[in-house]
Amino acid sequence: MNIFQVRRTLTGVGLNMAALIVIFIIVAPFLWVIIASLQGENELLRKPPSFLPQQPTLDNYNYVFTGTIPTSYEVKGQLRSRISQEARMIAPALKNSFIVASAVTLIDLFLGVLAAYSFARLRLRGKAVFYNFILASRLIPAMAIAIPYYVIIQSLKLLDTYWSLILVYTVLTLPFAIWFLTLYLSNIPRDIEEAALMDGCNRLGALTRVVAPMALPGLVAAAAFAFMSSYNEFLFARFLTQSIKSQTVPVIIASVAGNPDASYTLISVCMTLAIIPPLILAVVMRRWLTQGLSASVTYR
Amino acid sequence: MTAVTQSARLKRSIAWERVYPYLSILPALLVIALFTIYPFAYAIRTSLFRYILTQPKSHPFVGLRNFIEVIQSYYFANSLRVTAMYTVAAVVSVIVIGFLIALLLNTRMRTAGVLRVLVLLPWSVPAVVSGLLWKWILNSDFGALNGVLYTLGFIKTYIPFLADPNLAKVSIILAHVWKEAPLAAIFFLAGLQLIPNELYEAARMDGGSAWNTLRYVTLPLLRPTLLVVTVYETMVAILTFDEIYVMTGGGPANATALISWFAYAEIFKSLNLGHGLALSIIIALITLVLIILYLRVLRPEESME
Repeated sequence: MNIFQVRRTLTGVGLNMAALIVIFIIVAPFLWVIIASLQGENELLRKPPSFLPQQPTLDNYNYVFTGTIPTSYEVKGQLRSRISQEARMIAPALKNSFIVASAVTLIDLFLGVLAAYSFARLRLRGKAVFYNFILASRLIPAMAIAIPYYVIIQSLKLLDTYWSLILVYTVLTLPFAIWFLTLYLSNIPRDIEEAALMDGCNRLGALTRVVAPMALPGLVAAAAFAFMSSYNEFLFARFLTQSIKSQTVPVIIASVAGNPDASYTLISVCMTLAIIPPLILAVVMRRWLTQGLSASVTYR
Repeated sequence: MTAVTQSARLKRSIAWERVYPYLSILPALLVIALFTIYPFAYAIRTSLFRYILTQPKSHPFVGLRNFIEVIQSYYFANSLRVTAMYTVAAVVSVIVIGFLIALLLNTRMRTAGVLRVLVLLPWSVPAVVSGLLWKWILNSDFGALNGVLYTLGFIKTYIPFLADPNLAKVSIILAHVWKEAPLAAIFFLAGLQLIPNELYEAARMDGGSAWNTLRYVTLPLLRPTLLVVTVYETMVAILTFDEIYVMTGGGPANATALISWFAYAEIFKSLNLGHGLALSIIIALITLVLIILYLRVLRPEESME
């Protein structure tokens, strides 16, 4: 081995080490909350805590779904008071989040493709004005429009309903969907759809039958972004919802964790359940998300 | 006969072709306009009135007094300082760490492949949850970080990370960077992959060191990407709310209370809408000024295009 090979091997080892450290830092917080959710409260509060659960148990999950109080809480009367009824709301909150996020995703895709195709392809007076207006609408800080939104939603009699969140999240996510899809569609060659138009397809037909299938990766990415932003949003959900009829996952989590007397293990269960959908989405959709994000900085 | 109907159909289809573009953008435009123009006007109007929810009957016009009052308030100067420190620290760390991760992702190592699968995980979860994940790790009763430091013998008693003003600042920046750096890494990776390989080969032929290649080839060509990342991350950092809400609630002693936190507190705790909206408008103006500044400084030169 000459000196250059030694150097290259050392650099390789160093880079691999760096990558492993980054991987550990990314994964460790998730692992820790999962580990915490699998322990009894008294085991978790030991000092130092056990990094692998000594007596792993699903009791906490069982409580959240069925209401059976874990045996570890019955040992000490003092711990019993830490049982948080509120933790049991995570299941309905997950349902609410799914309904809201799915509805927003569908609306975004429909309205987004419809508008983006025209922005990307068609002649339209005032196009730049409309397009920039849609994009600029996202520059207003959420806090500034929170109260006016509340007033609008209240006068529409929609407080504490799915529709309040669906409406607001559509407004928040649609500009990104339109921008992203416009970029994506402008980068698809025109030849095929022009052939379809020549064959007597009208614009809407060309859009649904020819362009949409070709733009599928872009549509998938736009859908994933819409779903994730809606699933993750907290500020608006915090004050547009009032009961478990419409409260979403972040609202319930913040509320359960905000109670200083609540059991840490039960909160960990809620958090573990809450991160499962976005984590699955992020891994399964990884290729489209990465392409989509890349497209938004490299397409012109 | 047939000629007439055909020309009528042709006319109708031409009319449709002309109207269709407007019809297609109308629904999206209407929804966004309704929820942008009215709220925006409402926010500006309300910021000029004394508007306190506990006094629902009287809303006198006060001009710019809300703005003057919040600027002279006990918290404004300090929260501006906290916001500036937080934003600079967060944006710089996200960019530097994101760029380094992108360099790792851009290699052909097997570990880089694993990293590519996992890197977006922190970005994908709600900020409420990522904030709590770090609150869990930094917890002073059972936190994993305290546990590790204690087991390794570095500390005798657990450190209350979120109860100390300085450590709390570091903690929220840490949580923020953990969540945001992956996104910056993906952006930078996209930028890196646009740089043609010939440029690197040319640099190697000329005997350029790795550092010089980075300095004179990679970084200048990444400027457009850097602009996007800087603008986006600055907006995200200035408006950070969810993490602070769950991690510190602005404390201890307002050490982690950004201006946006006081906008929230004025509106939802003091119920003073005029003050809250005046603060929100100040934040919007600061953001706008920063974006214009960035565009000036970082805009890629024409020759680069």
